[in-house]
Amino acid sequence: MNKLREKVRNLLKEGKVAGYVGYMMRDSHPLPHFFTKERLEEVDQAIAAPDNARYPLDKLLQQVASRYPEETFAIQVRGCDERGLNELYKWGQLDPEKVVLVGVACNQAQADYCECPGPWTSVIDYGEKCQPVMKSRRVAQIEALGEEEAFKEWLGAFQKCIKCYGCRDVCPMCFCKECSLEHPELMSTGLVPPDTIFQLVRAIHMAGRCIDCGLCEENCPADIPLRVLYKKANEIVKDLFGYEMGVPESGPSPWKMLGEESTLETKPM
Amino acid sequence: MPDTNFEPKIIGFFCNWCTYAGADLAGVSRLQYPPNIRVIRVMCSGTVSPHHVLRAFQKGADGVLIGGCHIGDCHYLRGNFMTIKRMRFLQDLLKFTGCEPGRLHLEWISAAEGPKFAETVRNFTEKIRKLGPSRLKLAVRAA
Ligand code: SF4
Ligand code: SF4
Ligand code: SF4
Ligand code: FES
Repeated sequence: MNKLREKVRNLLKEGKVAGYVGYMMRDSHPLPHFFTKERLEEVDQAIAAPDNARYPLDKLLQQVASRYPEETFAIQVRGCDERGLNELYKWGQLDPEKVVLVGVACNQAQADYCECPGPWTSVIDYGEKCQPVMKSRRVAQIEALGEEEAFKEWLGAFQKCIKCYGCRDVCPMCFCKECSLEHPELMSTGLVPPDTIFQLVRAIHMAGRCIDCGLCEENCPADIPLRVLYKKANEIVKDLFGYEMGVPESGPSPWKMLGEESTLETKPM
Repeated sequence: MPDTNFEPKIIGFFCNWCTYAGADLAGVSRLQYPPNIRVIRVMCSGTVSPHHVLRAFQKGADGVLIGGCHIGDCHYLRGNFMTIKRMRFLQDLLKFTGCEPGRLHLEWISAAEGPKFAETVRNFTEKIRKLGPSRLKLAVRAA
């Protein structure tokens, strides 16, 4: 932890960043905290988030950065948060020149729980690399069901939705000003559970953009396995377009451009 | 028991410049095709969002047929590059969730392809008739 605190302290002291979005223990809860030069002593309380401290720091950073567009900020990131930043740069929501990473590597238990293919960051200031999980067992379980059974599974899950929008509101990658989930021409209004297509619409929006942080699923009061749906959506995007979310080298999202050529074939009837 | 009175409800999204003109040609050539299709004319197949397709299924469509210009012939040059990306993606997502991906079909039909238009609508209607009412529709109705 000392290495992490030292880095943050120096960044703030030397004025390299206007603030640091990280975590602090408060009333024995690890909570997101905005650290500044003016309250430098708080950095002694700065922590790397323990596994169960799961907050959308990328989202908080977007709010701070849009308020102070000229300033540079530091932010604590895990693998998923860094993927999120990379994706947000591509979508023009953050300026990579104005972000400094404080990286945390997740432990094996966390990576296994998340089925995470990249449980560490490009700079590691806390923790050590563990084994990534390259294949999702949860996705494979659904695929093994057969379509009719899969439909029953999903339908059962979707019907538990109370339309709280928690999945969207917590998501670091949901930055639209107007949301299709609330568009009266696209989605019935005043219904709980919502239209059966509610989660599918969200899956479309998250395809190739969801950074698989799992916050939506953890936030969902109805325990809908949302992460499985978006993991698969990302997988489809990778298979069809060769696009890997969160990776700078993947270039722009396939949804952001038409492309120079079209090699996909229509499916036979 | 299969519903013998089942008449599939099919929504067609056709681009103005190719497939819709192909439908016109099929019409003036007096080619027969089943009347189960309700056509929505769009300026380019690239304007059809997966939302529209899902909305159609939610509202009780048994099948959705998208028609656009052949690759290279889109009047907006590359609009249909997006069409195929979206529809291929959506077909795979429907498959994963057990929502019968075969009920969504994309076909490139030019303004000159009246017979292909009639044949596509015929074949698709028959396919959907065999599949019966959509799983999603039945679930919506039951709720
Ligand atoms: S997805 Fe899970 S394991 Fe991967 S970086 Fe994020 S918290 Fe760590
Ligand atoms: S896992 Fe959920 S919260 Fe995280 S990026 Fe994906 S959709 Fe958003
Ligand atoms: S968080 Fe869960 S219950 Fe709330 S809207 Fe999303 S899927 Fe529905
Ligand atoms: S104009 Fe026909 S597909 Fe674009």
